[in-house]
Amino acid sequence: MLETRLGELHLASPLLTASGTFGHDPAALAFLHPGDLGALVLKTVTPEPRHGNAPPRMVEFEGGVMNSIGLENKGLAYWREQVAPKLASVGVPVVANAGGHCAADYRLMVEAFSDMPGVAAIELNLSCPNVVGGTQFSSDAVALAEVVSLCRAATSKALWVKLSPNVPAIAPLAQAAEQAGADALTVCNTLAGLLIDWRTRKPRLGNGCGGMSGPAVRPLATRLVWESSQAVKIPVIASGGAESADDVLDFLVAGASAVQVGTACFRRPDVISLIAADLRRILAEEGLRLEQMVGTLRWPETVSC
Amino acid sequence: MPAAVASARSQLARLDALTACGPDAFLLDLELEQAPPDFAPGAFAMLSPGHGGGPVIARPFSVYDRLDERRLRFLIQVLGRGTRHLCALVPGDAVQITVPLGNGFEVAPAGEPVVMVAGGVGSAPFLMYAQRRIAAGAAADTHFLFGARSADRLYDQDAFAALDMPMHTATDDGSSGYHGNLVQLLTDLLERAQLPAEARFCACGPEGLLHAFATFARARGLRAELSLETYMGCGFGVCNACPIPTEPSGPLGHWPWARTCVDGPVFALSSIRF
Repeated sequence: MLETRLGELHLASPLLTASGTFGHDPAALAFLHPGDLGALVLKTVTPEPRHGNAPPRMVEFEGGVMNSIGLENKGLAYWREQVAPKLASVGVPVVANAGGHCAADYRLMVEAFSDMPGVAAIELNLSCPNVVGGTQFSSDAVALAEVVSLCRAATSKALWVKLSPNVPAIAPLAQAAEQAGADALTVCNTLAGLLIDWRTRKPRLGNGCGGMSGPAVRPLATRLVWESSQAVKIPVIASGGAESADDVLDFLVAGASAVQVGTACFRRPDVISLIAADLRRILAEEGLRLEQMVGTLRWPETVSC
Repeated sequence: MPAAVASARSQLARLDALTACGPDAFLLDLELEQAPPDFAPGAFAMLSPGHGGGPVIARPFSVYDRLDERRLRFLIQVLGRGTRHLCALVPGDAVQITVPLGNGFEVAPAGEPVVMVAGGVGSAPFLMYAQRRIAAGAAADTHFLFGARSADRLYDQDAFAALDMPMHTATDDGSSGYHGNLVQLLTDLLERAQLPAEARFCACGPEGLLHAFATFARARGLRAELSLETYMGCGFGVCNACPIPTEPSGPLGHWPWARTCVDGPVFALSSIRF
């Protein structure tokens, strides 16, 4: 009932994990029922190990959290040796997420993931707000197109490009990624923010600024999903504050073909199974099919946006 | 999957009772639908209000007591948004719980003396630790040092006093027991040979206490374990938001950070930089 097609990929459900919120490896899958998760999107891997940012790395505000983890990961060599061999048998397609400092880093990661049988698709994290240079590719359509083209040439696997919300207009970036050969867009990464403790006059995160996620960013993500899906023909994967079946259906109506669930997993590790059960119930009650929902937003004729 | 989360399950529990404890804390009793498996003292749960509202992420709390197979008790000091929301719930309300999480304390074998050092609600992991020691016949070798600002913040101290083990209290204002802090009490007891210096010293409490205790334990060469609390996003090892610096020469030293939630929250002092 939840089967979803995402380009060439056939998924059991439109619900995916959001990179960075379900671990570096498949361990946390034990919290979910088989068939509820469409694909496991893992945390960003970079060519070299990264120690990440100074703590505190995550703080809460009304409606969301701010994080500045700084892409802590043990690097490609570790991942190839310790994580990749476990992926083929996890029972759900795995999406590896690539990070780096320059275009050559991304190409290197894509080539490496391309050789791993357990990796079904590759998501490019071109939009992390918490590392130096993390957003250079996500705000400049020319630079974005260059790195996506390089990566496209390096793999025949599905290539997803994760875009940043921290841009004045997302359509030109979405189109640049599509023209450079992306198979899908993930919209969007965290929103750059700053939380302060006035008593100490210091930022509340150890690294200063951070990325906002959680329910507070959902309206913004919904607008960006709508705008980008209007601008391209490839599928758009929504990411930004979804925590219920209603949120997922809203994103589909806005133009998403699938939805990543991130911050909500922190509060409840089995939330994707709960959402899947609710989705099945709602679809049965309403007599609807998922694909009937995608991109069906009825925009009021008298209103411009 | 790390051993620390392999048996954890997420479920809705029913709030059974909420009892005020001291000026700013509560005993929160939850009845779970599914009995959790056996877990070590010092293992923790992530709690949040069950039906939306409240904080976006859950909060970690050591399990204070296992009342029966399906009922768990937590000792919670009201400190911020997360704890305020939990302590505003009423019996019958749903509480989201993921349990058991974390490594907890390895209970020292009966022949080995243990000194438990608890500051305020840092007593939470030690009630079950003491129960296990007493069940193993090691009561006389289990010493409980309980400190707080004042007597009314020696939360639920009757529960500890009812156990048949040596117990000492310390308060900053002298309103109960030793007049001074826990490190001063420790110094005093060790100098008077009232505590075995070769014991396993286990500490939990406010960060200031733990730092003072760590400095003291290192200076004296004590065998020490700390139960730590940091900001946590998930509690089950996926978010990397609870890093604690590791000691490069120690067992965790292959990476500069350990995750408090799955590598801890209990650490040998020698394995971390603290």
